[in-house]
Amino acid sequence: MTHKSILRLSEGRIALFLVLPTLIILIGLAIFPLGWAGALAFRVENLFRPDIGKWVGFRNFKYLLTEDTFWKSIRLTLVWCVCVVSIQMALGFLFAMMLDTRARIVGVLRTLIVIPVFISPIAMGLTWQFMFEPVTGVINYCLELLGLPGGTWHTSTDTALMAVMIADIWQWTPFVTLILLAGMQGISPEVIEAARLDKVRGWKYITKIVIPLIWPVVMVVLLLRLVDSIRIFDLVYIITRGGPGTATLVASVYDFTIFQAGRIGVMAAYGFLILIVINLVVILFLRLLYRQEKEARIVQKA
Amino acid sequence: MRSPIRKAMDIFVVFIVAIYLAPIYWISLTSVKPMNEINSKEPVWFFEPTMEHYVEAFERFEFGKALLNSSIIVFSATIITMILALIAAYALARMKLRGADVLSLFILSLRFMPGVVIAMPYYLMFLKVGLIDSHIGMIIVYVGYGLPFAVWIMRGFLIDLPKDIEEAARLDGLGWMSIIRRIVLPLSGPGIAVTAIFTFVFNWNEYLFALYLTQANAVTLPIQIAKMVDAYTVLWGTISASVVMQLVPMIVVVFLLQRHMIRGLALGAVK
Repeated sequence: MTHKSILRLSEGRIALFLVLPTLIILIGLAIFPLGWAGALAFRVENLFRPDIGKWVGFRNFKYLLTEDTFWKSIRLTLVWCVCVVSIQMALGFLFAMMLDTRARIVGVLRTLIVIPVFISPIAMGLTWQFMFEPVTGVINYCLELLGLPGGTWHTSTDTALMAVMIADIWQWTPFVTLILLAGMQGISPEVIEAARLDKVRGWKYITKIVIPLIWPVVMVVLLLRLVDSIRIFDLVYIITRGGPGTATLVASVYDFTIFQAGRIGVMAAYGFLILIVINLVVILFLRLLYRQEKEARIVQKA
Repeated sequence: MRSPIRKAMDIFVVFIVAIYLAPIYWISLTSVKPMNEINSKEPVWFFEPTMEHYVEAFERFEFGKALLNSSIIVFSATIITMILALIAAYALARMKLRGADVLSLFILSLRFMPGVVIAMPYYLMFLKVGLIDSHIGMIIVYVGYGLPFAVWIMRGFLIDLPKDIEEAARLDGLGWMSIIRRIVLPLSGPGIAVTAIFTFVFNWNEYLFALYLTQANAVTLPIQIAKMVDAYTVLWGTISASVVMQLVPMIVVVFLLQRHMIRGLALGAVK
């Protein structure tokens, strides 16, 4: 007995020793900067005037809350998340359904359709910008061929947000498709056979069988997409730089313009607000997922 | 035994996927188009292909330097990340470690950190120690950036390995190091490959940190490509050539990964 417990103790020690380098690095590269940003949020600091730094309590936060551009960026981020994530989920589900029933060709198509996810938002943003060009762009040309009026896309205040959204939806819908598809292909053939025998088809099959069975997967994809949408930066920044005017100034892009102005205290304060929102979303989703798992277990027992 | 309607639907689905990838064909086509045909109002479909934009990207826009920077930074960061992640994930997944679940969740949670929050402190830290615009600085940043994801995915793969073989080896008197070297590493080969490739992809495409922390000496590909727009808005040929050169490795990656990528993309959390 004693021999065994000594062995176990040393295993725990060795394990801790193995995790330690990673932990130290993550504390140094994530927790420590986070603490620093937290401190900055309560200070007046200017990159270009290092001499004026001082503690000011909640002044940075108060300043943000009274600023119109701040509220506009919050509104834009909210609109962005709602539109982009809901369309990606709906389209992604539709594509997954289409691919799910095509066993013979699904492998190739799945590989092809996921390509956008792996390409950098910078490369894809530029590609879309090129295609959106109002006069020489291929999109307006195609619309004209179909007899539709062309748009001004990323170049005008009214349509810029929509144009960037289209690029983002295009890039990330395959991600949703791929993961939902994995969920769908995990549904046991017996369940599908039973549904077929009971003549459960079409809409009813989707809502009563597919969606409930892949619900945990849906929640995970939704969470990942939501977090990425809240902190969206690259794609918007490369296509519009937040403009024209403030038409696409979503949270992270606005935060970056504050950095460019040198006002790093205010910037840290805004960054913290984004972090808090993301944390709330993650906690909410994990709670929901956990509760469902518990309920499922109770149902299984009964 | 396939009905014509089903067959027609199959063709329809293939067609939709083909349309979906149109932006990628279009940018590739543009990258080999002669300059004067790129900005014509009517798209030109047939033309004499040219490599002038590729040459231009290297000669006028220091594409080669950015490519070298990206390669050095991303390869080094990926190797360091993988070594650390493999060791940590092994301990978290296979050893009796108190609080392993809490630790794993803590590491995963760092994946959700918004870049804008910590990029600023990085900037100030690097300014103090002189790491701004340096390769070493970027490698450090990317190790921190990729590590949470790599540990989490690697842990998922390692948990799935059957425990019996390892127990048997231990009963036979093999030490930790030999168990890891002779049994765990060979068995988790695919998991290591997938994790390494994903880490590589994330770093290769990263933009925000590079935007804060590089200026001239250590600029990475996304930064260099974005710079071309700032200076010369109209040179779409050069830009598309650069975009194509940046995305080709990623398309290769997609085909290398094939069906493994679902697991990786889902962050190992779907399971």
